Amino acid sequence: MNPTEGTPLLRACGLKKSFGQLEALREGNLIVNRGEVVAIVGDNGAGKSTFISCIAGALRPDAGEVFLNGNPLELGSIHAAMRAGIATVYQDLAMAPELSVAENIFLSTELRRRGIAGRLGLVDQKAMRARAAALMDELGITTLADVSAVAGSLSGGQRQVVAVARAVSRAGQLIILDEPTAALGARQSQIVLDTIHTMRERGLGVVLISHDLPRVLEVADRIVVMRFGRVVAEVAPRGQTVRHIVSLMLGEESAAKESAAS
Amino acid sequence: MTVGQIQTSSTPEQGPPRPPSAPPRPGPREVLHRLRILQSTTSYVACAVVALTLIFAVLTSGNFLNTSNLQSIGRNSAGLMLLAVGLAFVLGAGHIDLSVGSTLVLSSVVSAKVIVAFAASAGAGWAIVIGAICGVLAGAAMGLLNGVLVTRLRINSFVVTLGTMGVGIGLAQVITNGSNVIGLPTVIQRGFGIANWFSIPRPLLLSLALCLVAAGVLTQTVFGRHALATGSSEAGARRAGVKVDHTTIGVFLLAGTMAGVAGFLDITRFGTTAISGHETTMLQALSAVIIGGTSLFGGRASVLGAMIATFISTVLLAGFVMIDVSSFYQRIAIGVVLIIAVWVDRLRQARAATT
Repeated sequence: MNPTEGTPLLRACGLKKSFGQLEALREGNLIVNRGEVVAIVGDNGAGKSTFISCIAGALRPDAGEVFLNGNPLELGSIHAAMRAGIATVYQDLAMAPELSVAENIFLSTELRRRGIAGRLGLVDQKAMRARAAALMDELGITTLADVSAVAGSLSGGQRQVVAVARAVSRAGQLIILDEPTAALGARQSQIVLDTIHTMRERGLGVVLISHDLPRVLEVADRIVVMRFGRVVAEVAPRGQTVRHIVSLMLGEESAAKESAAS
Repeated sequence: MTVGQIQTSSTPEQGPPRPPSAPPRPGPREVLHRLRILQSTTSYVACAVVALTLIFAVLTSGNFLNTSNLQSIGRNSAGLMLLAVGLAFVLGAGHIDLSVGSTLVLSSVVSAKVIVAFAASAGAGWAIVIGAICGVLAGAAMGLLNGVLVTRLRINSFVVTLGTMGVGIGLAQVITNGSNVIGLPTVIQRGFGIANWFSIPRPLLLSLALCLVAAGVLTQTVFGRHALATGSSEAGARRAGVKVDHTTIGVFLLAGTMAGVAGFLDITRFGTTAISGHETTMLQALSAVIIGGTSLFGGRASVLGAMIATFISTVLLAGFVMIDVSSFYQRIAIGVVLIIAVWVDRLRQARAATT
């Protein structure tokens, strides 16, 4: 498919990030292959969101490197990560509540009018609305009737679905989802899970942070367990139980043994 | 959430799924609703302006409506409108610019000095053109300074512009040694400042044209959308890929440039500078932009509303002059209008939160 067939899609090694005295991320290592769903699990404060923020460029790590298709990624730059094809759904969704759904989906990737008007920075609202609506249809999102509604008027679940849709429309290589189903009902959760499957089939890498362990076991190809800012275990979901993963998250069993088992 | 919860909550749903046939907010109606709110803010303001005008017309037995008075109100509004529209961008982006009034004064002084300096050698016409450009550039420079300080030093825009407000007026006084610039060619007034075009003051026409362009920039361009996104949620906009710092510098640059144009208009009107005549100008502009439907909290801005709301204070002040109210009361009125404007904005905010 491409010359980098042998190298993993994403390789993050030795990422560290401290906030003052707090060492939020002590040792972030991660490999994601094309068409693979990797779940990151861990208790609150384990450093999951810090870890993915460093990969997505929202935070500049104090140390470490990230490679995409073997090429080093400029760290601490959201734009570099976006250009490289990394799209992220943040826990707080990164939306502008006063703007419409369509405007949020195309925020910073606005469709411009043709010709000189576009060069002058004029946006094509109509095209953005049409494309946003088409995106919703494509993902099977039916609970959102109007892409002109302002994001602030939506329910938490609807906003979350919009954030996922935005990331899907932007992801060229890797999609990172931080708690994408936290505010969702069963139907909407299923839409997100279906979307994850679709992304995997398209050959994208998927990084999923979730507290919903039964779903993680269902959807992930590999589960990375974090504790106190470190990746402490990596397990295959097959044959795993929720109870076992929780014990890894809490460090109740020897992490080394579990790593060996995987 | 604790780990215990993780084990037990296999489906973290927060209520039954909504049937697709009955979405919570019907689309077209929602849009209509929003349009109506927007329209109503602007039209309420327009009604208020008309009502004020009529009240003063009655109090002055019609004198208020004579052409020269209305033209004078238009001239007073021309510069103020530019400041208010510049502020609409700044407030929309979640910041504030307290320095626009002193930027106006600085620009007028720069402009006037340049015109006087070139009038003999280059002729009045060219001197005025060069002076206008220099005045606008001075305003742009002040705006750029604000934007850079806010984004690079990460200082709150209230504090930054409170500082540059002093810097601007101080520079104006340093340049002129405190006395107004005199000796401007009279053609600057006759040919533009006090001239009309079909009875409409020429400075007002220039302002209207610039403000309408600004309205297009706010609603139709990438820059305008990014400005509002930044004001709506700076962190969100940043992570969605918006170049928040560029956008922030842009809105301050725009406000400064508008103030620069207003500074030039000021000298075309009076034929001299008015260094100490603009102490309340910023407050007037700020009230206008908030009354006009721009949120003090960012994310929402209306250029058209700001333009119309400009007339509230200019009509009020012209009326006070005509019915012989002391200028001390005029200041009180401007202060009261500002407070009412912010209160109305709070009510709007509260209503938005409940719907």
